[in-house]
Amino acid sequence: MATVVVNGVSRELHAPADTPLLYVLRNDLELTGPQFGCGMAQCGACSVLMNGKEVRSCITPLAAAAGKEVTTLEGLPARWAQQNKLAAEEAAKTLHPIQQAWIEEQTPLCGFCQNGMMIKATELLERTPSPTVAQIKDAFTSGISAHLCRCGTYTAIIEAVQRAAETMAKRSKA
Amino acid sequence: MTSKNVFGASLSRRGFVKTGGSLLAGFSLLKADTQKTVARPGNEINPALPNSWIEIHADNTILIRTGKSDFGQSTIFTAYRQIVAEELSVPFEAITKVISGDTDRTPDGGGTYGLLAEGMPNIRKAAAYVHQALLELASQQLGVPKDQLSVKDGIVSGGGKSVSYGGLVKNQQLSLTIPVKGDLQTGDGLTVEGNPPLKPVSQYAVVGKSFSNPAVVPKVTAKEIWVTDVRLPGMLHGRVVHPKTLGSKLISAGPLDKARFPNAQVIIKGNLVGVVAPTEWEAIQAAQHVDAGTKWSDWKGLPGSDRLYAFLKEDADWKSVPPAKSDKSKGNVAAALAGSPKKLNATYERPFLKHAPIGPTMATADVRPDGTVYVYSHTQYAQALRRDIAHMLGAPVDKVVVRTFAGAGHYGRSNGGNAGAEDEAVILSQAVGKPVRVQWMRPDDFQWSTQSSAALADVKIGLDAKGNLAAFEIDHYMPAMQDDRLVGAILAGLPTIPAPDQPDDKGVLSGIANDIDDPWIYDGTPTVLERAYGTFQIGQKSSPINVGLRDHSLRTPGQYQQNFPRELAITEAASLAGIDPIQFRIQHTHDQRAVGVLESVRDSSGWKTGSMRPAANGDIARGQGVAIMLRAGTYWACVAQIAVNRKTGAINVEKITISVDPGIVVNPLQLKRQIEGGSVMGVSMTLFEEVRFDQSGVVVSDWRSYPIATMADLPEIKVVLINRPEVGIYGQGSEAANSLAAPAIAGAFLDATGKAARRLPLKPDYVQSLLRA
Repeated sequence: MATVVVNGVSRELHAPADTPLLYVLRNDLELTGPQFGCGMAQCGACSVLMNGKEVRSCITPLAAAAGKEVTTLEGLPARWAQQNKLAAEEAAKTLHPIQQAWIEEQTPLCGFCQNGMMIKATELLERTPSPTVAQIKDAFTSGISAHLCRCGTYTAIIEAVQRAAETMAKRSKA
Repeated sequence: MTSKNVFGASLSRRGFVKTGGSLLAGFSLLKADTQKTVARPGNEINPALPNSWIEIHADNTILIRTGKSDFGQSTIFTAYRQIVAEELSVPFEAITKVISGDTDRTPDGGGTYGLLAEGMPNIRKAAAYVHQALLELASQQLGVPKDQLSVKDGIVSGGGKSVSYGGLVKNQQLSLTIPVKGDLQTGDGLTVEGNPPLKPVSQYAVVGKSFSNPAVVPKVTAKEIWVTDVRLPGMLHGRVVHPKTLGSKLISAGPLDKARFPNAQVIIKGNLVGVVAPTEWEAIQAAQHVDAGTKWSDWKGLPGSDRLYAFLKEDADWKSVPPAKSDKSKGNVAAALAGSPKKLNATYERPFLKHAPIGPTMATADVRPDGTVYVYSHTQYAQALRRDIAHMLGAPVDKVVVRTFAGAGHYGRSNGGNAGAEDEAVILSQAVGKPVRVQWMRPDDFQWSTQSSAALADVKIGLDAKGNLAAFEIDHYMPAMQDDRLVGAILAGLPTIPAPDQPDDKGVLSGIANDIDDPWIYDGTPTVLERAYGTFQIGQKSSPINVGLRDHSLRTPGQYQQNFPRELAITEAASLAGIDPIQFRIQHTHDQRAVGVLESVRDSSGWKTGSMRPAANGDIARGQGVAIMLRAGTYWACVAQIAVNRKTGAINVEKITISVDPGIVVNPLQLKRQIEGGSVMGVSMTLFEEVRFDQSGVVVSDWRSYPIATMADLPEIKVVLINRPEVGIYGQGSEAANSLAAPAIAGAFLDATGKAARRLPLKPDYVQSLLRA
């Protein structure tokens, strides 16, 4: 058994310890934001945040998540609300600025990879609030592998990251 | 109310209700088609379920249905809504729901292609009939003649009175029966007949605006139910152990270690080896374990990718079907070539490409005890998949229901029905008597899916003394484009539609014939000869399991294979003539829409008339190239500006500019996003992509062996939309963007280096070999 804090809630998980976190999230917790793309940490469709760092849940065994805090796409609004101490009523109707920017920029085409793109963007903007285009490109192409989008939405992703960064900067000044 | 004739449609009242009320626009087949329909029982939509195209509700909301599905184009969620809203004169937001791609819940069949060219007139005309029916109802209710009524935002007004659409249907059950012809499971599905009055393009208010795609919100907030998320009670997770080669037969399946995998089961049917288990992780591990111990016969029947073009030139049979010749072919090309002072004689080569969806194909099937089959899938052509699953099982087609869900885009791979795992899920579900979810792993998807056909073209060009085209001859060679057979059914030895080498009476686009897919633009050329040769699927006829390098449509199918050689050859001819390649193109066409996009892309890209070629110093050489395409009524021109590193052979695409004239631009923002994405796919295909195969099968298996463009490869992309409503057509084919990059980039390479790169992809080792030559 492993205890993992998932989207702010402590969960006792009984899957075998070597089960990739992806299947635990999708099948046991019904958190279907992360997607199966390759099972080899080569594409990023399965990304989640673990203690604030973007990891590939398809190769992360459940045992490695024990005692950690995991945030999935489903948990982004609550993560933002908590970070900014939003009142419950406001929190309930507020998306994470990254999600909001993805909608306003109409970033997804098929959308299958965008879970990982938004998770990566969250990691980036929490560490580097006003990234340059070069820093954005570096974030999405460094690490264990580049985040891949077959529909080719990279332009729209960069524009959405920039838009989200502006919104988040305004909030932190407020 | 007795039945009322509305421009050939029939409006009637089925009853009254205390709350709500609606007008449902359904269809009836024209008499001429009735016999054919009766012979195909699968055409019946379950009468207990709604079969309407368009529903007007008492609360003023509107629902539309389409048999098409969405692959990330957003057309059915944006353009279709806009077109229906336009015909009905209601706001975009009034259409609150689009139901798509479910065989029991959507009225029209046909594949998800030609969404605007073929699908649009259906939904537009259906909306036009509904509009007329609503005017008829309003006329009766208000006591004002139809021609004195006007509609704005869903309110009908006239004679000082007004009523909303919702008010017209309140407390009534109205139906409108629209005349259609056709057949759900072949060709284009049903087609709306008749000629209801259409709103003049000059009065458009909704078409042409950048509405957001409502499907984006659930995807971004994790509320979408993707096909990957379908979970059924008692469902098992399945994996398939695919054969060792494309010609292998099963000798023996590996043993299953019941101590390690107590809940897993192995299912063997012919050469199909499946493993199912209650949890996904047990299914994956058990399948790997079984795979390791499974014995297959060997087979070496493929030429291998190193010999691909030699095989196509020397060994392939191009004589079993007659070549197609374009209707633009004219004059005595041979004589003109003989008399030309300057000539180009060259061969162009394009490899097999993968659709490469980010998520490997998967499907969930539920074969129930009474023989009904539910397939939950991400398909472009639900009715064809339904037909093929029924055929595989020997069951009547009305026993099968296909439901379509959002999934990873696969760009044409299922436009004949299946993407890969659907039939395997059905076979395994039938075997275990429970719902089974089959997920292909990453290597399955690279090695057992279909691919976009490789192609070769021989070009001969003659220039006259002034440097004008005197002769243009192109011979295209491409193996069978479309294999719609269910691969799991083939492995299991169950019935499928015929292989591409067989006469085809059921498949949609199957066969070995090739066609001219790239419309000729240079009508100022005095002599032209365009021919297209087809041949058998490579390896299929010698494979003991009748499977070769299965081919299938990928974005801009056939036309990509033909436009790359033509456009690069035209650029080479311009270079030979010493004329700017954009100017050279303009000089050879009278088509003003073609000239328009060429001038636009020249003016908006920073094109330097003549050449960008710098004095050769340093390792970096820059160049510019252009390409043009006419596809499905839309004109495209693309300029690529690149930097070539002479030392490493690496090409950096610095900027892509695309000018597009589709006639009517339905949704500028969605079109722009499509073009940006397509441009990236085009850069990816041009620089990186090639399906490597050996004598036994495909050897690429993951994103390392089949790399695609990342954000690091992203050029600056500039999109120029040319809205020409006066043309009066909804041109389409936003997919063409993926196809333009290759000839434009290769043209830029010629500009930068003076070398013609006639084989894709332009990888560093090939580039270096060209620079050394």
